[in-house]
Amino acid sequence: MNTQALGVEYYLAGMRAALDDLPPSEVAEIMEDVSAHVAELSTELGEDETLEQRLGPPEQYAHELRQAAGYPPRTERLPVTTKNKLVTRPRAAAWGLVIATGVTLLAGAAALREPAILLLPGVLLVLSLALVHDRGPTQQEIMDLPETRRIQQWLTPEEGTPAERALTYLKSLQPAWWLVRAGLLGLGAVLLAGRDILGFLVVAAIAIISVFAGPRAKVDRRWLWFSLPASALAVGLLFQVVDVTANNLAYSSRNQSYPTPMTETYENIYVQDENGKWLTNVQLYDQDGNPINAQRQYYGCNGSDPQPMIPANRYPRPKIDYENGTCYTVTPSMSAPSSTPSTSPSSSGSAPSSSVPPTSVSPSK
Amino acid sequence: MDTSQLLKGVLDMAVLAVLRKDDGYGYDVVRRLRAGGLNDVGDASVYGTLRRLYNAGMLTSYVVPSEEGPHRKYYSINETGRVRLAESRETWRSFASTLDGLLEEVAA
Repeated sequence: MNTQALGVEYYLAGMRAALDDLPPSEVAEIMEDVSAHVAELSTELGEDETLEQRLGPPEQYAHELRQAAGYPPRTERLPVTTKNKLVTRPRAAAWGLVIATGVTLLAGAAALREPAILLLPGVLLVLSLALVHDRGPTQQEIMDLPETRRIQQWLTPEEGTPAERALTYLKSLQPAWWLVRAGLLGLGAVLLAGRDILGFLVVAAIAIISVFAGPRAKVDRRWLWFSLPASALAVGLLFQVVDVTANNLAYSSRNQSYPTPMTETYENIYVQDENGKWLTNVQLYDQDGNPINAQRQYYGCNGSDPQPMIPANRYPRPKIDYENGTCYTVTPSMSAPSSTPSTSPSSSGSAPSSSVPPTSVSPSK
Repeated sequence: MDTSQLLKGVLDMAVLAVLRKDDGYGYDVVRRLRAGGLNDVGDASVYGTLRRLYNAGMLTSYVVPSEEGPHRKYYSINETGRVRLAESRETWRSFASTLDGLLEEVAA
């Protein structure tokens, strides 16, 4: 391969090709080291010097690196996955982690109402981690699963592309996210504190451990069984806090716009004296001498005739009686209160208002 | 005698020793090994050794963004690595004194 006078990119491409039988995660890690190395070396090169003169051809570099790293020679392919079994422990553990993370996200959105729901993903996580805990911090078997390799390839775009820059930028935000996550979890714990002391303790512990879990997971992938669900829980709690806040805002604005006055209204007032005799033409005043007016209801008789001027605070008020399309204001009979006290005289108590001869009828028409 | 053959057996120890003093990224480790007198050490061998020690759980790594060029991955020795280095040093010292003894006999 003629790589003379070609730049860093070409050299790196050659290296990547010479390593492409290795697990993508491992290739990605190597290339992370090597691209920094080659980039730094290229700035030190003399006028007519090439990378190949300094480092040898990329294939040779790759070969030397493989030997030192203890990888198998190029011809051998690393076993990607145990093909004879579809459901292996690493695969079950990986999917357990993914499902538990998803469940935590959903549970997180309900965790403030019912913290015990977190037991479900918790059990899932413990079980799935137990499957692979003995497989070491790199969890190479999980990294070698075809589905993991797919994700790795997807997350490892070509150097220099916008996608790669975006991912690098997002990666640089990770420590900030760890702090935000701890903050959100802490907030969740505080919100639980008054209602569920056990839930408070659990979520507070998760918040504290999550600060360390982020960096630890970089070194020991087993910490992902804590770190990923912790992130999901934080996001779930965020959703719920936003939801609750929005509801509270909506509730308080409803309260402001619809005050419910709890004042009773009266259509009419009937007065009895100490002997149980119904009184008529009683005028009521309050402590300030203002007339006490029940709700007016007899302005329906809007004939052209002048209505008799009845003070609004004179009780009982005339009732409206509609007859043959015309309306009369009828002085209420003594039958008006539906629950007449037993002491009331029978002679004046039971007759319906319509049958009572209008004593002071003022025909409106 | 070709020191590169000798180096193969002890590069692990040399890299761990260099990292015990201070964390370093790949090329930095190469330079420190050369500055320490291992002039024949190959870049690729050092990078491969770093990967192997890392995969064996003796090193941890973290990324430091660089203003010019790709970010640098720093390696630091952890407790497992320190234990391994201490063991290696014991082995090396006894091996070296044994060999010294043999060479003394030859010289005598």
